[in-house]
Amino acid sequence: MKISSYKKFLLVPFLLSMGACSNYLDVNVTPNNPTEVTPPVLLPSALAGSAFANNGELNRFGSVVMNYLSGAGGSPTNYDRFNTNGADFGNQWRFDIYGGALVGYQKLIEAADKTNSKAYTGIAKIMKAYTFSMVTDIWGDVPYSQALQGEAFIQPRLDKQEDIYKGNQASGIQSLFDLVREGLADLEAPSTSKPAADDIVYGGTIDNWKRAGYTLMLKMANTISKKEPALAKTIITEVLAKNLYITSNAQDLNVKFGSSVGSTSAIWNLAVFGSFSNELILSTRFLNVLRPSATDATKTDPRLAVFYTKPSTDYVSIDNGFAGTLPTPTTTWSRYGAYVTGAQGEGPVRLITNFQRAFILAESALTLGTAGDPQALYTEGITASMKLAGITDAAIAAYLTANPNIATLTGTNEQKLEQIITQKWIAWTGNGLESWNDWRRTGYPRLTASQNAVGIDGTRPVRAAYITQEIERNPNFPNPGPQSNAKLWWDVD
Amino acid sequence: MRKRLAGFWLLCVLFALPALAQDRTVTGKVTSSDDGSTLPGVSIQLKGTSRGTTTDSDGNYSLPNVPANARLVFSFIGTATQEIVVGNQSTINVQLKSDASQLSEVVVTAQGIERDRRSLGYSTQDVRGDVLAQRSEPNVLNALQGKLAGVNITPSSGAPGASTNINIRGITSFNGSNQPLIVVDGVIFNNDVNRNPSTDNSLFSAQASNRLADINPESIESINVLKGPAASVLYGSRASAGAIVITTKTGRNMKGKTEVTVNSSFNVQNVYGLPPLQNDYGQGTQNNFINTSGNSWGPKFGGSLTQVTTLQGNTVPYQAYPDNVKNFYDQGSVWQNSFNIASGDERRNYILAVGNTLQKGIVPNSKFDRTNVQVGGESKLQNGLKLSSTVTYVKTAQNGTPVGNGGSAFGQITRIPRSYDLNGTPYQDAQGKSIYYSTTQNHPLWSAYNETMKSQVDRVFGNFQVGYDFAKWLNVSYRVTADTYTDRRKMSFAIGSARGPAGQIIEDMFFRSELNGDLLINAHKDNLFLEGLNANILLGNNINQRRDQNTTLSAQQLTIPGFYNVSNGSVFTASQENNTKRRLVGYYGQLSLGYQNYLFVELSGRVDQSSTLPKANNTYFYPAASVSFVPTDAFKLNSNVLSYAKVRASVARVGRDADPYLLNSVFVASSYGNNSASITFPISVGGANLPGFSPSTRIGNNNLTPEFVRSYEFGLNLGLFRNRASLDLAYFDTRSTNQIFNVSVSNSTGYDTRTTNVGALSNKGIELVLNTTPVRLQNGFKWDLVLNFTRIRNKVEEIAPGVTQSPITGGAFVGINPSIVVGQPYGVIVGTANARSPQGQYLINPNTGLFVPGIAGQVISNPNPNWTAGLTNTFSYKGLALSVLFDTRQGGQLYSFGAVDLRGQGHLAVTGIDRDQPRILPGVIEVTNADGSKTYNPNNIQLSAQNYWANLGGLASEAAVFDATVYRLRELALNYSLPASLIGKTPFGAVSIGVSGRNLWFYAPNYMADPETNTQGAGNIQGLDLNGIPNTRNYGVNLRFTF
Repeated sequence: MKISSYKKFLLVPFLLSMGACSNYLDVNVTPNNPTEVTPPVLLPSALAGSAFANNGELNRFGSVVMNYLSGAGGSPTNYDRFNTNGADFGNQWRFDIYGGALVGYQKLIEAADKTNSKAYTGIAKIMKAYTFSMVTDIWGDVPYSQALQGEAFIQPRLDKQEDIYKGNQASGIQSLFDLVREGLADLEAPSTSKPAADDIVYGGTIDNWKRAGYTLMLKMANTISKKEPALAKTIITEVLAKNLYITSNAQDLNVKFGSSVGSTSAIWNLAVFGSFSNELILSTRFLNVLRPSATDATKTDPRLAVFYTKPSTDYVSIDNGFAGTLPTPTTTWSRYGAYVTGAQGEGPVRLITNFQRAFILAESALTLGTAGDPQALYTEGITASMKLAGITDAAIAAYLTANPNIATLTGTNEQKLEQIITQKWIAWTGNGLESWNDWRRTGYPRLTASQNAVGIDGTRPVRAAYITQEIERNPNFPNPGPQSNAKLWWDVD
Repeated sequence: MRKRLAGFWLLCVLFALPALAQDRTVTGKVTSSDDGSTLPGVSIQLKGTSRGTTTDSDGNYSLPNVPANARLVFSFIGTATQEIVVGNQSTINVQLKSDASQLSEVVVTAQGIERDRRSLGYSTQDVRGDVLAQRSEPNVLNALQGKLAGVNITPSSGAPGASTNINIRGITSFNGSNQPLIVVDGVIFNNDVNRNPSTDNSLFSAQASNRLADINPESIESINVLKGPAASVLYGSRASAGAIVITTKTGRNMKGKTEVTVNSSFNVQNVYGLPPLQNDYGQGTQNNFINTSGNSWGPKFGGSLTQVTTLQGNTVPYQAYPDNVKNFYDQGSVWQNSFNIASGDERRNYILAVGNTLQKGIVPNSKFDRTNVQVGGESKLQNGLKLSSTVTYVKTAQNGTPVGNGGSAFGQITRIPRSYDLNGTPYQDAQGKSIYYSTTQNHPLWSAYNETMKSQVDRVFGNFQVGYDFAKWLNVSYRVTADTYTDRRKMSFAIGSARGPAGQIIEDMFFRSELNGDLLINAHKDNLFLEGLNANILLGNNINQRRDQNTTLSAQQLTIPGFYNVSNGSVFTASQENNTKRRLVGYYGQLSLGYQNYLFVELSGRVDQSSTLPKANNTYFYPAASVSFVPTDAFKLNSNVLSYAKVRASVARVGRDADPYLLNSVFVASSYGNNSASITFPISVGGANLPGFSPSTRIGNNNLTPEFVRSYEFGLNLGLFRNRASLDLAYFDTRSTNQIFNVSVSNSTGYDTRTTNVGALSNKGIELVLNTTPVRLQNGFKWDLVLNFTRIRNKVEEIAPGVTQSPITGGAFVGINPSIVVGQPYGVIVGTANARSPQGQYLINPNTGLFVPGIAGQVISNPNPNWTAGLTNTFSYKGLALSVLFDTRQGGQLYSFGAVDLRGQGHLAVTGIDRDQPRILPGVIEVTNADGSKTYNPNNIQLSAQNYWANLGGLASEAAVFDATVYRLRELALNYSLPASLIGKTPFGAVSIGVSGRNLWFYAPNYMADPETNTQGAGNIQGLDLNGIPNTRNYGVNLRFTF
């Protein structure tokens, strides 16, 4: 037996396997995903996220709750009966807002700071502030100062809405106003690179971003003005002095989408084209606002035909909360028009607008005594909205002349405020969240309860309940959390 | 020792053959040496031939034409086989000694190692190929249903090729695959259900196959199921969920002959288990006919409304179409043909096997076709070198249509009004557009023909092994195995599809490849150190590489109707590619000691080095030990009552590595939204195509360590009444720790999950297999009974600090999350539960009489059964064998969209009863008293039948949860082997014909249809019917002959 030679044989495969080991196992670097990316791919993703959140499921909610539309099935029917709970808006919270837009801005700030691309940093900070204001206006106290930091804080604390708006140095919370100011300062600084087509809002026009930033400060000051009138007045005065805010419709902060599949705005799919589109229909109540008397066509707001479709001989709508048989066929239904959705889903999604700025200044001139004439600013707001809707100057003038009770602010300040906010509500058609903020803040427009209203206590929701999944994941959230009838900090009455 | 039991069976079959004319007739009597009693049914075989006979009721036999140099082999169950040289004797009387060890048999364990069953300290269960073949079932996993203890097998639907889930001894990993490792002739065999997360989500998928469906059941010689980690430790990490070791047929047992076997079977398939529907009320709501309604809340038939106008403007009678849903389904068929040539002996042999299956499904336009070609052989050279190889090529084609809530054929089939003539009117117009009652959804038949999935699999797998006996006690071998396939899928959605109105074509290519090299050194020594101590040592090394690739070309927004080429698309942004490569090097060893054939100890260990773990943690060791003791032999206890007893125990720990690429945080191409609205980057804005990236929702972890499963097992084997009854009982306890899991994090971190080692998961279970022969008559009639029973308790012990629940990876419908929840079994479904009073009654809104809003985030459904059992009865008489398999699943719950659709929309039979009577939802109304205390009064608010049924609970509610208990006549097979007297003069060696049927009867006490369904297919998410395909009842005939 030649054992020794056998032994040599035995060793061969072992040696082969051992020798191969040193780098044989070095194959765990993913070829599928980048581990670092540049600002031009982060910016459009984050911008689209903010718009998708504002314009998607939350807009189905806002549009129904603010009576632009009525629920004809699914979740909108629930919203229309004032039902909303922690099972709603999970995807928006998780994937559009915190896990989409906000973490996108966070990464954009980090990536842009590395290359000193201050133009990107500035935009990211302004949009981060805008998106956080949206979050806190919906849910109240939310993770803010500890949010978006991954493993550093896997269960971020909740910051009070008051601290988010006003800042709290002791707790290390930067105010949203300061975040915008920081962003504006970045926009003034030199930048190694600047956005172009990747900026799906302004196409790289930095001056417009500055105007958007200052107008965002107006919007946020306006939001807290009932709770903090002095602070609001200070900030509005500061912005007026700077005189670099949105003054024309062309400067609106509009997020643009496309017409092809996978590029379209959310509301296009939800209200017009997609498989859920038959869950929304024009609200009879809103129709009656724009058309006070069906027999008197001259009183029709010219924006009606722009805001909504009329595929049949007349507008087909249902009342809010209606539980009866739906009109048939669904092809006759009046839906959001191309003004809201774009002809083929392009949008734009309007986040901060010129008419909004005019109405804010009208309101603050009236209630806070900031500079400007409330009536002039009010007329400017209506006119800006009409022009945005493509109404001719002649038609605008005719409408204002024919409807002096609308065109002229009259009565007490409270009555004038109602006029301003009611017109702002009409102008915001297509963006339910913004007018929901105004309604909660001022009580205007005057809305009556839906048919078959249930809710927590039969009243219209004044906040969204915390996402159930988030409560489960983060013990810092109150459990059970406040329900949809609990008012926010800035919602004083 | 090789396959003695199988040999015995072969003899039993052969005894029926008459002898051919030859030299002399030998007669005699066979008795028992124990008590002298005569033994009927003893097999007598002429050695080296297929000829033989059996003793009659008095123990007498007669075998004609026996040559003088022949040897007769006398064998009988429970006795030692005797071999006698005939010489010049013409009367040979034989006494057979009882021998408990005769019951021992060789089983194939991990790495192809053959072991005597009695030496095993852990549980295995084997299944012979002949109980899988000719059972009206092309998928081998389905054919195993009800036949194994400790194994849970759940088909997803009756669609051809639909995947089947298999779990052995519960769920042991939070996130990893819980399917057992499949090994076919030593080849690690991929059994994945390749899913493309972007096109195949939980709500809308085309039910692709699990790839074990590529195996032809006819080619299987035997299957051995290695149940616990102790049994499978040598296979390493991937067998921590157990292993299914499949051995295909070879020419090894042909005894030098060449045999050609032809099998042919034809089965028909019909839909069955459909829920009972009402036939009194038609389309509409609130007693009004509405031609666009998906409800059956319209007017009663036989009233004033006799004619209605459809959405298309046609005037049609208003009447029930009782079979409108049933007749949507076709009659399916399964044609299976196979042919094989086997030749050779133990030293040198070959096999050529060809199989073909043609299945036409019950769903229109669906099929599953499979062709297998296998070539294999082995040769043992004079110099001791042994070479063997087998290579199989498989071509599988599957056609189907997606299932899922809403816009699919099966999202619609539960929404067909009772008065809608689904099959009697055209489903599409001249332009190819759907004609239906709804303008936004499509006719289910239109969907079946215009929303399609086609899969074309080309697969090659095989092994090459070379071995050499360096000495009598030392064998070294090297084995190379490969398994590689491509699955080329094409999903086509015509323009007008509900899910993609602009049309879409998805070319989806999956490539899978696995290579293994195994060095095995086997040393054996008898009487080591002391008399009767036998030792066996195995040392092995494994080198493994797995490569996966998935490339998807997605063409959206089609222009030309009916042209299904990606060139017809204008948006390609949903295209993607995903590649993974992983490698593993393992070293393993096993020391087996046997003392006096009654005490056995086995120690095993394996070290793995995996590419998927951080370098510092990528090497991990895990051991196993088992003991088996046969007291009946050790203490000479065997009696006529207790023939054999064995106690066994094992302990094992198996490590498992991570999936590739979990260590880093990455960026992904951005997308937002779901099936209601979505955008996917790159997006096209104002003519510019813009790429967009965002951080992945998962936080990576560069400190991962392997996860481990620890198991204890105790078992008892008993042979009773001279082994006429045998019992195999096992208790096991496994605990999985250090799980690699994507744990939920607060979404306000900016992320959804982080990968980390967490948690603990336990399984405790009892398995029982009882084999008995209650009746064995002298005339040859025999009744065999096999009972198996399984009871497993699975529990999520902990997840991560501060985390009490986390969804299982995989798509889910918002508000219905298959999850892990601390204190609950794996895979419970978390959703919205009804609000309840302190006494547990449902709370009712005092204004509406409806339930108050539910509470989200509650465990509402548990898919895990309480226990399962299967009972196989086999009656045989001469050439006739009837086998009947009943099985049952007790408990476990099904979450059913389909049931809620049918109920809420007034289609279900129960909704037609007393429809004009008011109803009251069960529950109480909360009243707050003046002192702040609360009183709960019974609900007394009446609702119409429509309001009642529609508000009993919608899709995302606990009213969609049903008890899935079911009793079933799973399988019935009657086979007749023609007596040799009939075929003696033909060229045929054996001919058998048979009839068989599957799913012939079921009874589900608490569900309106067959609860055995899971739209999510094989995988960790179970117990969901999100508008799936019903099951089939199959029956047919088969024919087998050899020559």
